[in-house]
Order: sequence, then structure tokens, then C-alpha cells
Amino acid sequence: MGGIVRSYSEGDAVAPLVKEMTQEAINLFEGSAGQSGPSQFTDEEAARETLGTSGTVASGRMSISFALEMMRRHFGSDVFNHTGTVDLRFLRPVRPGDTITFAGEVTGTSREANGQKVNVKIEAQNQRGDTTAVGTGSAIVPNAFFPPEE
Amino acid sequence: MVEVDNRVPLDWDALEVGEVFEKFEYVLTQQMIDEYRRGVMDPEAAFPTISHKVDVRQFNAKYSDNGSVNARCAFHCYNSPVPGKRLTVTAWVADKYLRRGKNYIVTEAVSVDEDGRLIDRVITHELKQPWEVGKKWEG
Repeated sequence: MGGIVRSYSEGDAVAPLVKEMTQEAINLFEGSAGQSGPSQFTDEEAARETLGTSGTVASGRMSISFALEMMRRHFGSDVFNHTGTVDLRFLRPVRPGDTITFAGEVTGTSREANGQKVNVKIEAQNQRGDTTAVGTGSAIVPNAFFPPEE
Repeated sequence: MVEVDNRVPLDWDALEVGEVFEKFEYVLTQQMIDEYRRGVMDPEAAFPTISHKVDVRQFNAKYSDNGSVNARCAFHCYNSPVPGKRLTVTAWVADKYLRRGKNYIVTEAVSVDEDGRLIDRVITHELKQPWEVGKKWEG
């Protein structure tokens, strides 16, 4: 760590992240944990029985993964993978075929014992402009990464 | 062969906040990481542990219910897991609440690897009436 001076200000935009949701991606996500049985994520009949939906949905944890990626790209893996957080409320189902865009904006910074905490508001929208998730994220950036105080 | 379901039917009123579940252990393999990264379309994704749903795994192993839907999830990154290392997960019931007549259960879990490195913390709010999704968005 160190050597790179970074700057974070209220109102800064976080570069958006766009994901095309497919059933194959959902199946890989579920299968990566060894979950091979039918579920509301992988099987239309299971989704109909459990959720009452006409098709499968993506786990909210996939949206968490996408928000983690957007935040990691913004803060750098050296910072975010050690101090990062994401907290999302899921407002609408994400389905195969959806295009989800994650966006973020810095809402402020605060001093912490181990650096400066940068807070970000996060929103995810589908291709129709409907919000699928909202929430917050943060990272604690070491003071060594900021310009010296005068 | 018929599998015996030894799970206890969930009694939301009786569920105790603070109940800690039996520890869960697993080895995170490179194959799991690769599949996860393909699934989330991110070759640098560092926390494949999220797909393992470890915060609700032991809850679901103990209690039977009508399923659930994830209403809110928080994830805290501490150290990315190393492939081949054994992870130990401690999970507990962090909270429960009733909102607009619907029951929610909040589970929390912390993962630590075999070298004692803290990996992550995940907190999930699960709505225990999953059919509300279909009622709201397909009705």
C-alpha cells in the first residue's frame, strides 16, 4: 500500500457498472457453492411454488457481488478488499434477461482510527429504469493515501 | 432411499435472537472461485464466499419453513479467501422483526480461515413469506 494520493469528495460519482443477467450466470453463481438442486434461482417450477413468480429470479447476493465490484474498482482492491462494505435493500426481482446498472455517489467522509471512511450511496436499476436495489457502501482509506494536511 | 428430515419447524415467535448455530466448515476450492467469477462476470472478484450463503446455511439445516426471500444483505470485506484453505463459519440469529405484518429474520455470520485470518462478515434480512414477491410483482 502507499505511494498513490487519492481524493474523495462529497458528490463524486462512482463509475457505473453494467451487468447482463443470464440464467447461465445465475446457475454458475448457485453452482459455485455446490448448490445443484432446483431452487427459485435455477428452476421455474421451484420459483413458481416458492415465490409465485412466472420465472426464476437472481439471488440478491449476485447484486451484492456486483456492488462489491463497482466499489472495488473505485477504491482499489488494496483498500476495498480489506475495509469495504456494501449494504443493499432489494426492492424488485432481478431476472434473466435484465440489464442492471449499478451507480454510486460519495456522500461524505469521516475520520476513523485507521484512516478516513468514505461513504457511498448505491442504486441499481434495470433496463426499464426501475430501481432494483438501494443502499450504501463504504471503504476506510488509509491516511497515507491522502495529501498531507496543511 | 428416503431422506429423513430432522429439522424443527420454525416457530418465529419462539426463535431467540442470539441463538448461535453449530460451526460450519468448508474448503474453498479454486474451481468454486472460478465458477463464481464466471457467474458474476468479474475475473477479479475476491469474495466468492458470498455465494455459499453461510449465514443462513446452518439456520436452514436446523429449521424447516416455507422458504424465504432476501430483503436486505450487508457484506463486510476483511481479507480475500485463499483457495484450498479451510474456512470456519460462525453464524447466529442477529435479530427478528415484524414489519407490515410480515416476518423477518436477520442472520449474521463471520468467516475465518485456518490461519486465523478474518475473511468476511455477512448480515442478511430474510422475509419469511416468500410468496409476497409474486403477489407484489406479478399480481
